[in-house]
Amino acid sequence: MYVAVKGGEQAIANAHRWLADRRRGNRERAELEVEQIGDQLRLAVDRVMSEASLYDPELAALAFKQASGDLTEAVFLLRAYRTTLPRLAVSEPLDTANMRIERRISATYKDIPGGQILGPTYDYTHRLLDFLQLAGAEVPPAESRDDVTEAEPCPQILELLNDEGLVEQELDDGSEPADITRDPPDYPMDRAARLQMLARGDEGYLLALGYSTQRGYGRNHPFAGEIRLGQVEVEIHVDEWDETICVGEIALSECQLINQFGGSREAAPQFTRGYGLAFGHNERKTMAMALVDRALRAEELGEPIVGPAQQAEFVLAHADSVDASGFVSHLKLPHYVDFQSELDLLRRLRREHAQNTSFGQSESHGNPATEEETSARKSGQGKHDREGGVHGL
Amino acid sequence: MNGYNFAYLDEQTKRMIRRALLKAVAIPGYQVPFGGREMPMPYGWGTGGVQVTASILGADDILKVIDQGADDTTNAVSIRHFFQRVAGVETTTSTATADVIQTRHRIPETPLRNGQILVFQVPIPEPLRFIEPSEQETRMMHALEEYGVMHVKLYEDIARYGHIATTYAYPVKVDGRYVMDPSPIPKFDNPKLDGNPALMLFGAGREKRLYAIPPYTRVESLDFEDHPFEVQTWEHTCALCGSDHSYLDEVITDDKGGRMFVCSDTDYCQTRRGEVA
Amino acid sequence: MERGMTVKPEMTTGLVWSALADPAHDSQRLFRQILAALSEPGTLHAIAVAEPPQARLGAALWGALLTLCDLETKIWIAADLDSPPLREALTFHTGARITNDPANADFALLTPESFDPDIPFALGSDSYPDRSTTLLVAVERLENIEGWRLSGPGIAESRMLDIGDGSRALMTRLAANRASFPCGLDAIFGCGGQLAAIPRSTRIDSTRIDGANAGEVN
Repeated sequence: MYVAVKGGEQAIANAHRWLADRRRGNRERAELEVEQIGDQLRLAVDRVMSEASLYDPELAALAFKQASGDLTEAVFLLRAYRTTLPRLAVSEPLDTANMRIERRISATYKDIPGGQILGPTYDYTHRLLDFLQLAGAEVPPAESRDDVTEAEPCPQILELLNDEGLVEQELDDGSEPADITRDPPDYPMDRAARLQMLARGDEGYLLALGYSTQRGYGRNHPFAGEIRLGQVEVEIHVDEWDETICVGEIALSECQLINQFGGSREAAPQFTRGYGLAFGHNERKTMAMALVDRALRAEELGEPIVGPAQQAEFVLAHADSVDASGFVSHLKLPHYVDFQSELDLLRRLRREHAQNTSFGQSESHGNPATEEETSARKSGQGKHDREGGVHGL
Repeated sequence: MNGYNFAYLDEQTKRMIRRALLKAVAIPGYQVPFGGREMPMPYGWGTGGVQVTASILGADDILKVIDQGADDTTNAVSIRHFFQRVAGVETTTSTATADVIQTRHRIPETPLRNGQILVFQVPIPEPLRFIEPSEQETRMMHALEEYGVMHVKLYEDIARYGHIATTYAYPVKVDGRYVMDPSPIPKFDNPKLDGNPALMLFGAGREKRLYAIPPYTRVESLDFEDHPFEVQTWEHTCALCGSDHSYLDEVITDDKGGRMFVCSDTDYCQTRRGEVA
Repeated sequence: MERGMTVKPEMTTGLVWSALADPAHDSQRLFRQILAALSEPGTLHAIAVAEPPQARLGAALWGALLTLCDLETKIWIAADLDSPPLREALTFHTGARITNDPANADFALLTPESFDPDIPFALGSDSYPDRSTTLLVAVERLENIEGWRLSGPGIAESRMLDIGDGSRALMTRLAANRASFPCGLDAIFGCGGQLAAIPRSTRIDSTRIDGANAGEVN
């Protein structure tokens, strides 16, 4: 005798216990500390902060630990926490020109004011597995950062091109930017909203889209004008005191791409920009973001839209890993009812197919409308002819 | 639950959702954009319904949560637990007792009464989405009441199969104006949308849309004069309660082709069995 | 107009106005009543909120304002309800912004007398009909008696509603919602502690035979 499946509650509780057990792993080894993760797995923590759009290295490290190292899950955990936080103040616009620089490079000029600073990069490491780390090799001596912090001023490279009017100006018109965390997406989006969407977009997705523009699906000839990483002060304006005060520093990565633009009837030829910004050390993400940002400006700049990366609604609606992983994973939920409907339909269609076949008819079901409908559709006509017969519409 | 507001959402978020709900009932079938928030369960798992429920639920309400018609499916259990934790509300499996019912994919068999609220979880709120992927385009179609593409889609089914091949999420027209996706309920449930005494609210969290059907509202399933709308029927009756008029789930009982059919609405089935016994 | 008025508006400040005693639960309860009022047009709902010092506004509308408004909403106030204490109370208790531009208002506070069809409230657009002004109207009477016959969504057959004399211009405007649907104005009425509503989906007919205006208003 069939008994309806019961005990969903018990099953869920058991699953949670098993998960916690797996997360802890071998009890004979020391448990990972959140501080260790923040300290030694900082790039993972930075990515979690960026895509969760919450700057909190400690909680991002906790999320990473709680998710057993699943970055998408960690992003989701931190994002869900973020929604419960009150908004206490709105910062002044960040000024990345005043960044306390850890890394700063330009691919467009050999020598730049302030200099090229490689910083802590994987760029020129040879990708050879370091077996000494496996064996617990000797600890390298601590690096002093004094030599790179209070150095000479590092103006933004693209501003240097302004003198000749070679690069488009990005000016703050003082208008209130959209807030994608509060307002539902409203297409077409302006660039401020688009950049917000890209800033929390999944790195892998943006990387693939950015890459596609380099391979010809919306090519726009990029140069890495400047990439900089470092600490930037966050300031808020206190109305009561009529004063702007610094409330702390955050680590940021910023990428400014320079792209060709042939000009139009109104505008002289000049360089245009693609922009990327992310929390922490997230260089690959900012480069991908800048490529996609520039690709999404195709319409504004009168360029032909030939690649997926240039289609704003497509790119933006699918960039968020919390959205995407949620909807993909929902396929795991029961769909008994819809499946039953489809099962019922499929049996009916097969029954009808078998009957028709046994009568020696073609698969068009002998419906003379079929061919006609298809051709009418192709020629973009015919749909209005049918409306007369429709009710409820 | 410590550290969280009653029903999880902060009051400002609830107010935003509440204002959107008032627009939704004022414009039946129109998808109101709202600032949907991340919830502590994944998008696609009922976050829209959960946000609606969290915004309307009161301490005195009795809540029922179903998924596929059943109270004991894992996601229904999970969502019910969530509201027990964050709102401390009383829950029930009885359709008749509940004040608020959150559902995924079914409308209960027991007729709803005036004063009840049915909250639907919606994955893709846009009925035109699979015909036209662009939001800008579909918004324009709704604005112009240009639903010709939907006629074409349904008619193509008829041309190909001899009947309409949409079995769930079957589009409806609300009060003669908006074409609306009733969420992936089987078309068997569509007639229950028409003139229902209960208020029906629809929440799509990931897509950030809310919509509503007020009580006693005209809701028509789209069809053609020569191909009228029809619902699924079964040759079987429920193997547990004997019902010959409810939506049945097929259950495979062995690996030799054995199968049986039982009510998908577990409360309805159990109530009938109680009455028969 | 004089009922329940112990303090004259000009003598008080907005801070004297009472807020919801239990914000989370009171606003939930009030919202459900407002939701029911808009879902079932013309039904009457008793709002249990302390009467504001400005009696003409009434407890029901004050409760609706406390429930629905915050720093993300803009309110327009007609001259016959406007007062410095009301403005102060709204700002203090809800954070809402007062606007002089009716086209920019999420909510408008008015009476049937101060309603003028020429006031350019937001009606929404065909693409975004939800971007409209909701009217909060202080009326003299709210009874389910002959006056106006309502039908449409939320109403099984029809429902009678009377909102008092001098309401013809307002009701004529609300009846015209049908022609501009989905654009239009939704109205929430308050009379003392009683609340009712007519959304834009409602069909409105006059039940009074008073000459040329009888019958369908639009």
